[in-house]
Amino acid sequence: MTKALSWFFSLLALSVVILLIVIFAWQSGPVWRAEGAGYLTGTKWFFRQHEFGALPMIYGSLAVAVVALVLAVPVGFGAAIFTAEYLPRRPRLAVKMLIELLAGVPSVVYGLLGILLLRDWIYALFARFDPLSGDSLLTAGALLAVMILPTLVTLSDDALRAVPAAQRRAARSLGLTRAETVLTVALPQAARGFGAALLLAFGRALGETIAVFLVVGRRDNFLPANWLSPRALLETGQTITSKLGSSETNIAWGDPRHWAAITGLALILLAITVGVTMLGTALAKKEAR
Amino acid sequence: MKRRALDVFVAAVAALCASVAVGILVGLVAVIAQRGAPAISWTFLTEQIRLVGAAGGIFWNVIGTLLLLATALGVCLPLAVALALVERVWLRKTRARRLVRTALYTLNGVPTIVFGIFGFIVFVQWCGWGKSWLAGGFVLALGMLPTVAVALIERLHAIPARYVEAAAALGLRESQIVWSVLLPQARGGLITGSLLALARAAGETAPIMFTATIFAGATLPHGVKDSPVLSLPYHIFILAQDSFDPAVGAKLWGAALVLLGLVFSLSLAALPSRLRAHEEAHV
Repeated sequence: MTKALSWFFSLLALSVVILLIVIFAWQSGPVWRAEGAGYLTGTKWFFRQHEFGALPMIYGSLAVAVVALVLAVPVGFGAAIFTAEYLPRRPRLAVKMLIELLAGVPSVVYGLLGILLLRDWIYALFARFDPLSGDSLLTAGALLAVMILPTLVTLSDDALRAVPAAQRRAARSLGLTRAETVLTVALPQAARGFGAALLLAFGRALGETIAVFLVVGRRDNFLPANWLSPRALLETGQTITSKLGSSETNIAWGDPRHWAAITGLALILLAITVGVTMLGTALAKKEAR
Repeated sequence: MKRRALDVFVAAVAALCASVAVGILVGLVAVIAQRGAPAISWTFLTEQIRLVGAAGGIFWNVIGTLLLLATALGVCLPLAVALALVERVWLRKTRARRLVRTALYTLNGVPTIVFGIFGFIVFVQWCGWGKSWLAGGFVLALGMLPTVAVALIERLHAIPARYVEAAAALGLRESQIVWSVLLPQARGGLITGSLLALARAAGETAPIMFTATIFAGATLPHGVKDSPVLSLPYHIFILAQDSFDPAVGAKLWGAALVLLGLVFSLSLAALPSRLRAHEEAHV
């Protein structure tokens, strides 16, 4: 009985996950048939004209996530080095618990802070570049940076702690300073774990919806002339998630092509985040062995 | 001399990074507490919303969020326990076990908006429920499943093999071992995992915005079909988008503080058990 029930519920969970993938692949069918690969590379999204190009949103998602990583990674790795290598056990636990606790702050609360504080700060800070408003890819990225910070710190701290203490003692007894021990003994061995932390944080940043939705500006069809130009980050844009979270999702149902375009975005997001997460998990696993 | 300088420099930079991280996060909570506190009062918690959020309270929002959480937990628990047991007890091959864990980690990385749209297709449209608390419960449960299942799996694997061997030597059947040894021993993992998952689910907006929750005009659901609930995250989400009325602003921060309080109490409740597990792992 116990065995049968366990298998039943497990298979139920499995079939839901399979159904999830199947549904998005199937529902997005019409847009792939209509646009082909042009759906991924198309730069125009006008749903009334049945023009669906996802590229501006893919750019937006990548831009905010990369900004978030650039801002958060140095701080996160540095903080992890401090908690893992410098703090004694009890303060370390306290700091870790604090950071994990704050990882639970809901994204809508981050969004609220973004709207009421960060937006104005960014506008004031970059006023001389003449941004249209405080809503921008940069604002969304900065907000995401704070949101992924706990993930980065927690995972990289774990990676450093997985390096055996005996190796640190050996290094210190050879006369290496603490900094040299960290840089030449601990860090190289934790590199995979740091990579995993980076990837998993990247995945989180890509999939974050509500906070980004509130501060990114949600302007369709924005692509900078120069992809790498930092000035473009002060423009409003649209990410995959902010599109999916918008009321267009409600409107789209009933128009098969439009709905396919929306579920296609979800499928792209699913593919990217699942890829990044699996890669990150695989890296973390190797570390543990 | 150069080596000494490097030593001091690295320590200083690392300490600075850690203070920045902790400082940002503490400052953020302080801002919400400071701005939200004036709005909190007994009537704020017990009255229903009036004047599009400018007056009244958030009673039904809190109730709606709690209802969604209870439903999600009810849906999630059987699935999580079953998965963990299958992984620990009935899957013999290491590769199959690893597959289960990989699937759970991957599910954990799926953005919650994807679950939301999935629920919108399946429950709201195909089942014809419209927005419904039950759909919200199902969708939130999907997001909670990996956290609960992984916490339970880890605790199940930490149970010493001799406990199971002793039970088997006493002639207990597999299912008896599950109920009298494995599950009682792993209860802590189940509780911790559930609390953490609930803490995360409580603040989720993306999965429930298309499936379960509306801004105003709902109390307790009467059935499954067309019975949405109010919720705290969606309330904040909607008000945040046009928060120029100062009266709304004050209520908005108040609601954020209440939501934050709910999330923190759930994660703090999980803390003692997690600390104990941590101590045991590092004796």
